[in-house]
Amino acid sequence: MQTSDSSSRSTLFWTGITVLYAVVVLFPIFWMGTMMFKPNETMFARPTEWFFTPTLDHFAYVIEAGFHWNLFTSFLLCTLSTGLIVLIGTPAAYAFARFEMKAKDDLFLFILASRMAPPVCLVIPFYLIYSQIGLLDSFLGLTLAYMTFNLSFYIWVLRSFCRDLPVELEEAAALEGWSRLQILRRVVFPLLRNGIVATAVLCFIFAWNEFLFAFMLGGRTVETLPVSIPKLITAQGVRWGEMAVVGMISLVPVLAVVFVLQRHIVRGLTMGAVKG
Amino acid sequence: MTSITETDPPLQTTRARDKREALYPYLLIAPSMITLVVVALIPFLYAIYLSFHEARFGRVTEFAGFANYASLLADERFWNSVSVAATFVFIAVPIEFMLGLAGALILGQNVKGRSILIPLLFMPAMMAPVVVGLLWKIMLAGSWGFISYNVFERFGMFPDTSIFASPDYALYALIFVDIWQWTPFMMLAFFAGLQALPVAPFRAAAIDGAGPLRIFFRLTLPMMTPLLAVIGLLRFIDAFKVFDTMYILTNGGPGTSTETPSILANKMTFEFWNIGEASALAVIVWIAFFIFCNIFYQVAKKRLNAF
Repeated sequence: MQTSDSSSRSTLFWTGITVLYAVVVLFPIFWMGTMMFKPNETMFARPTEWFFTPTLDHFAYVIEAGFHWNLFTSFLLCTLSTGLIVLIGTPAAYAFARFEMKAKDDLFLFILASRMAPPVCLVIPFYLIYSQIGLLDSFLGLTLAYMTFNLSFYIWVLRSFCRDLPVELEEAAALEGWSRLQILRRVVFPLLRNGIVATAVLCFIFAWNEFLFAFMLGGRTVETLPVSIPKLITAQGVRWGEMAVVGMISLVPVLAVVFVLQRHIVRGLTMGAVKG
Repeated sequence: MTSITETDPPLQTTRARDKREALYPYLLIAPSMITLVVVALIPFLYAIYLSFHEARFGRVTEFAGFANYASLLADERFWNSVSVAATFVFIAVPIEFMLGLAGALILGQNVKGRSILIPLLFMPAMMAPVVVGLLWKIMLAGSWGFISYNVFERFGMFPDTSIFASPDYALYALIFVDIWQWTPFMMLAFFAGLQALPVAPFRAAAIDGAGPLRIFFRLTLPMMTPLLAVIGLLRFIDAFKVFDTMYILTNGGPGTSTETPSILANKMTFEFWNIGEASALAVIVWIAFFIFCNIFYQVAKKRLNAF
């Protein structure tokens, strides 16, 4: 009885600390959430006003200013680039996990380096090349640019999922006389489905959050959601409420992903080094 | 699983088949590798080309040899940006590391409701850096931001201005934001590592009557070392290239007090239009990153057996 009492007290203590930390960490997000509904005059009232009459003005402005098009652009661009990456990256990840190749280590390092390269370094040559061949402000241009960090990420992380698959199934299928394509289609890809989905969703989120490429290589035609946020700093002042609305909308997919993918996020963000 | 065949075909076809078999993996990686060469290697080579030329306002003129590098290395502003980045990284990352480790140990205790807490704690690391910037602008900007008003003003700090406008403290504000964003992730990554440790040694130690401190320093820490090294190194690399958040919050200002090489390269390109020198800076940063990557790869491969 005594031990169970002390263990329930320690549960309460440690849970309390963790919850407190989570509340402190998440408070800014909560605060921005409330700003979506705050009338302008109470937004930065002194002293801080905790209670207010909610308004939908900011939402109305966001729709009026056409931000749903930015949302659509973001969605289209991320889907396009992620789809393409899954298509060409999956066989590569499998090959890297299963076969011996010449200069494999060097190829790896090249892939890793293109993932890690600071985006600012890439955006300079990209901008100049694109301005010469007319790819600025186009979906194709940004889709290609996103491949530098996302294709390499996808190959690298999916490879760690491939390595978890037992090789015996493929060997058995080969003994049955299945062709390589059949083995890929009927054995490897189905088993790899969770890994593919998890990695692709992470790619989608990275593209969704991306700012610098979209800002420098995009324009009026291709203007993603993150790029549209600074637009709300207008000559008449900063539209904080509208910024909060757009910011919170951009958090929706992220919120969905953290709950659905939680086990795979650590693996993704550590390039497969830590299996969550 | 390369050469498992059904029957024994004649020698000639076996050889042809072996050749095809040997090509198979290269066929699989070809589309990806070609894409990566186009989108990563060519821009890199083009940046090297640019760095050896006089290039301003988008027009590449004459070959300049090492002139761009020389003027960059003689530029005080470049060395300032290096020291700003070093300050940022060497303060932020160790703090994130220590707090993350402590947090992971706390999370490893009897904590209820992990299935809700863990996803929520992933939020800061997964959200758009632009939104992170926006959040902290709301919290810290002006004298009217939530923290500016409720904390700073109460203690008489930064009257009538924002911490981001203070040359002495703006960098520390950025460091704080980075710590806010990445400590929860470090905590969860270390926690995942802790969960994956084998149980048997801990049982044995408990039976031997070892105290918690002794268990931590003699068992947990040594077993975690490779993992800690890999995660720490990765965070280190990432912290060096932080751009979006800084761009939104200070864009290098006030003055050059928060100007990192990334911000400087961006300004050189899109504000001063001195593309040659900006490319030289990009190439230098790139080479530094390549060295870091190599270290990361070697450590992760040898110590963690991860790749």
